[in-house]
Amino acid sequence: MNNRTFWWFVGPSLFMMVLFIAGPLVGVAVQSFQQQRASFETVERESCTPFGCTTEEATVPITGDDGRIITRTVWVGWDNYAALLNGPAVRNALANPGDALRQLAQIPFWDALRFTVTFALVTLPLVIVLGLLLALAVNTLTEQLKGPTIFVTLLPFIITPVIGALAIRWLFIGDGILTAGLERLLQQEIAMFAQGWTIELMMLGYRVWHVVPFAFVIFYAGLQTVASERLEAAGIDGATRWQKLRHVIVPHLMPLIVFVSLIHLMDSYRVFDEIVGFSASGYRISLQWLTYDFLIPDESGNRSIGRASASAVLTMIGIVVILIPLLRNTWKEQRQA
Amino acid sequence: MNGPSNLHRLPGIWRASSNVLVAVWLLIAIFPIAWLVVMSVKLPIDAFAPNIFDVLGGPETKAQIGGLSTYDLALLILTVILTASVHSARRFLFRPFADTTGELKVGGVILSYLTTALTLGVGALLVTPWVGTALERLTPDGPLSQPLLGATLQHFRAVWIDNAFYVHLQNSLLITGGVVAISLTIGALAGYGLARKSSQIAFWILIIALVFRALPHSTLVTGYLPPFIELGLYGQQFAVIIVLVAINQPFTIWMLRSFFTNVPSSLDEAAMVDGATRLQAFWHVIMPVMWPGVITTGLFSFMLAYNDYLVAALLLDGQSQTMVPAIMQYFNRETTLTDQLEAIAAAVSITGPLFILVLVFQKQIVSGLTQGAVKG
Amino acid sequence: MKRWIIGLAAAFALGVPSTAMAQCSINNETPLTMLSNSFEAWKIMSDAMTSCGNFEGTLDADYRLKVNDALAANPAVFSMVGVSNSTLTPLVADGLVRPLNDLVEQYGADLLPSQLITVDGDIVAISMMVNAQHLMYRADILDVLGLDVPETYPEVLEVAAEIQDSGLVDYPLVGTFGAGWNLGEEFVNMYLGYDTPMFTADNRPNVNNEDGVAALEMLKALGEYMDPEYLSFDSTAAQQKMQQSQAAMTNLWATRAAAMDNAEESEVVGMVEFAAAPAAFAGGAPATTLWWDGISIAANISDEEAEAAFKVLLEGIKYDVLSQHPDAAIWLSNPAIESDVAVGAQASAAGGAPAYPSSNLIGIMHNAAGEFIPAYLNGETSAEEALAAMEDAYLTAAQENGLIN
Repeated sequence: MNNRTFWWFVGPSLFMMVLFIAGPLVGVAVQSFQQQRASFETVERESCTPFGCTTEEATVPITGDDGRIITRTVWVGWDNYAALLNGPAVRNALANPGDALRQLAQIPFWDALRFTVTFALVTLPLVIVLGLLLALAVNTLTEQLKGPTIFVTLLPFIITPVIGALAIRWLFIGDGILTAGLERLLQQEIAMFAQGWTIELMMLGYRVWHVVPFAFVIFYAGLQTVASERLEAAGIDGATRWQKLRHVIVPHLMPLIVFVSLIHLMDSYRVFDEIVGFSASGYRISLQWLTYDFLIPDESGNRSIGRASASAVLTMIGIVVILIPLLRNTWKEQRQA
Repeated sequence: MNGPSNLHRLPGIWRASSNVLVAVWLLIAIFPIAWLVVMSVKLPIDAFAPNIFDVLGGPETKAQIGGLSTYDLALLILTVILTASVHSARRFLFRPFADTTGELKVGGVILSYLTTALTLGVGALLVTPWVGTALERLTPDGPLSQPLLGATLQHFRAVWIDNAFYVHLQNSLLITGGVVAISLTIGALAGYGLARKSSQIAFWILIIALVFRALPHSTLVTGYLPPFIELGLYGQQFAVIIVLVAINQPFTIWMLRSFFTNVPSSLDEAAMVDGATRLQAFWHVIMPVMWPGVITTGLFSFMLAYNDYLVAALLLDGQSQTMVPAIMQYFNRETTLTDQLEAIAAAVSITGPLFILVLVFQKQIVSGLTQGAVKG
Repeated sequence: MKRWIIGLAAAFALGVPSTAMAQCSINNETPLTMLSNSFEAWKIMSDAMTSCGNFEGTLDADYRLKVNDALAANPAVFSMVGVSNSTLTPLVADGLVRPLNDLVEQYGADLLPSQLITVDGDIVAISMMVNAQHLMYRADILDVLGLDVPETYPEVLEVAAEIQDSGLVDYPLVGTFGAGWNLGEEFVNMYLGYDTPMFTADNRPNVNNEDGVAALEMLKALGEYMDPEYLSFDSTAAQQKMQQSQAAMTNLWATRAAAMDNAEESEVVGMVEFAAAPAAFAGGAPATTLWWDGISIAANISDEEAEAAFKVLLEGIKYDVLSQHPDAAIWLSNPAIESDVAVGAQASAAGGAPAYPSSNLIGIMHNAAGEFIPAYLNGETSAEEALAAMEDAYLTAAQENGLIN
């Protein structure tokens, strides 16, 4: 294919990605070094509400001739990053090794980073192993059972994520029926939403529930292409079931395992729905939740776009770092191809 | 599907434990969803009851509104059996639409699914209530006429009729349809281009697309709001379609590219030797063998667009809103538990199309993945 | 069940659209839109306005995210926006809402003076409802135990202890203590209950002090009597606990009062009574803040559109509409709409509870409180650490915006 034709084919897709992904990305990077500031003055202001009239000193932003607030864009260098990483607090925490972990957990960014990384790295092996086991197990079912089994298996994956999270939440919150059941089983009071680790466990569980079907269907499709001659050959060599799995099936599925890991790490590093769905923010926050929290205006319309952008940039750097081993793999493959 | 034959020859203990694994998983997979369905047909007092049997049986709902009698349950079970038989007998019923091997052609498949759906719908929504009521009138005091399970469809009625939820359904279908169509079109072009070009630049486009796939969406999307309002695009559904297509492009081109890579390039080269242009070769020679890949990729696009909350919630207003944000508004209105149940009813309703989609395309997903993506 | 099935099937077959009750006495011909919060009261008003024709309401719980950009566009994306104490302030400061003085003079004869929200003489919004958190308690339980209705938070703790000892309910209290906005609101209520300013004259934070610690300790003491999951509780969860008789007292929004007597979901119909919010200390004002909600009209629309919008606005908040839902909110209306559920909020106001502050500063502190107090409540930090973290977060955000140097 010559270059001209290539660009015609790739052009529309590339254009969309540049306009809607690369463009905003540059914008975010620039904003992470800026702050939007207004100037404020204190004036005497008379205001009336249903609760009566008051005259008080109020701090109000200075407006221009058009009545709009005058804001100026200030380049602040690494200030946004510094505020986010909160160096002094980190130094304080580290100065007191016995208490360092607790103190670090009070700094939102480090708290969020800890949870996000744990979330991604703990769910990954669970998803891969469960998906693989399930694929192997379903593969041994009779043809009549395969269809319905695959259908039901896929449900957690296709259901709208926010709704799936809420469904699981209802099973556990308060005297939700699963909590009630657990209480009867263990003969003790259980409050699943009363401490961080149980909430974290539920969020991990939800994500695994949601993603295992994806891993399953990819692996299952991959199993259909394992050449049976190789397995037969392995059988003749007297390989045990475990050896076959280890030396024939897993290597065959390796590219798929890498693919699923890649997708899963990307998605789980962006964890956000779970924090909202499980009302977890009192105990656990994630990087994307933190970014969003900076981004949305508070009760009086203030927002921290600079810190949100810095947080977003650090999130992106984090995901690239975590993906490097897998990306290197893909890189080599593509190079060879 | 020709599974490797000796995988089937498992000793008893392995087979048993693998079946147990599947059974446990199926229970875990379906339970939360099934529970939503149960809750959606109860009054709040039952739906949020701590006792599992109160939720299932719905005593308050039974007392206040009524429910399904033994007649109804029997009729429903009959309907399900009938539907299942109609579906499994589809090759026989629609013989005229089958090819020589007995497999149904596309028209026959569509017709058979329509028949299945019609059987289920007519049986459950028309025959069951009317015949059930008639039977109950005949034996008003008989034990079979007494409500057995409390159930009510009032939440569904509130959602669909009182709150005009069908407006959001239309919006969702429009946006989802648009996203799938445009996404596949430009994605297929790009995927084909990338599969047939082995240069540095193609390689870098793929790597960068992969990185784009990893970016946190909320940051990007929130940035769209001011310019979109400025340009008058707020509340415009095509703007949401375009944004979703763009966000979904990295995944789409990676998927489709791996499908195209598995189609031998001798095919299109032969066509071009015969005088076809690149585009003609792509359209007339390559696309016809690409359908499993296109369907599989399309399903992923469908799910992304249909389940999207972030983009639609931010860029659409009341009347143009899609279903998922509309449901979240129900939850946020949160004045009464009844509202919450209406939201659950809405949530159950929107899961319907996803069910049907997977039911219909399940085979294509697996065979599509088998053919393409999992190799490349 | 069956009736509904048949009804559903018939409705789909005939394509029956939902018919909003035609309540509007005018026929609006100018296309109008409104962006507002999404709770029930807004739905009532939005539906009434829809019946005037050519009106489209967007009820959106995330409306704060959009309102500024939407009004800043020219022409504005929405002709009207729902506002409250706090959300109106930045819009007025940015010149995005229209002074309504002439329109009120021309069409607003029926409005009460108290409905007019003014800033330096400009009418910038028309308010139609007020709201506040106040005490709701199980009168039957207090009666059985021979307890008085608590008037201060220390008394609340005593009463809660008695109820818990009696074994009538496991967790006598419930509250909107959910991390984030809800808990922030609890802190603002409690702290202002000590009648200490939250900021110094030069806009620096002033919460890491005796009263701040006292407020936090009180919140924690209250939490001891609540269901252990209280950090995830929003208003609906608190309402549900009361309705299911799993709590005996709460400081809950007036808009939730009617739900206690809703037979469809409540097991405690007729048992819950209302009183002023408890004071933080004996002799103090009720520790709660008063809120109002209202509607503003965008500055960036034509005068004709504004005039049409104002007429539709009046239709949406007129007596005939609001009086059909007397318990959905505490309505401001002429003639007045009597409601049994208003007593708690009225008593709080009469006791001297302050209005929620309308300033640029409060939002930042409110946010910080919602973010850092959970760690104190679940035992990870001390009160002083939490308050210091809040002040730090406040300083960072205020500096970013230019509020302080």
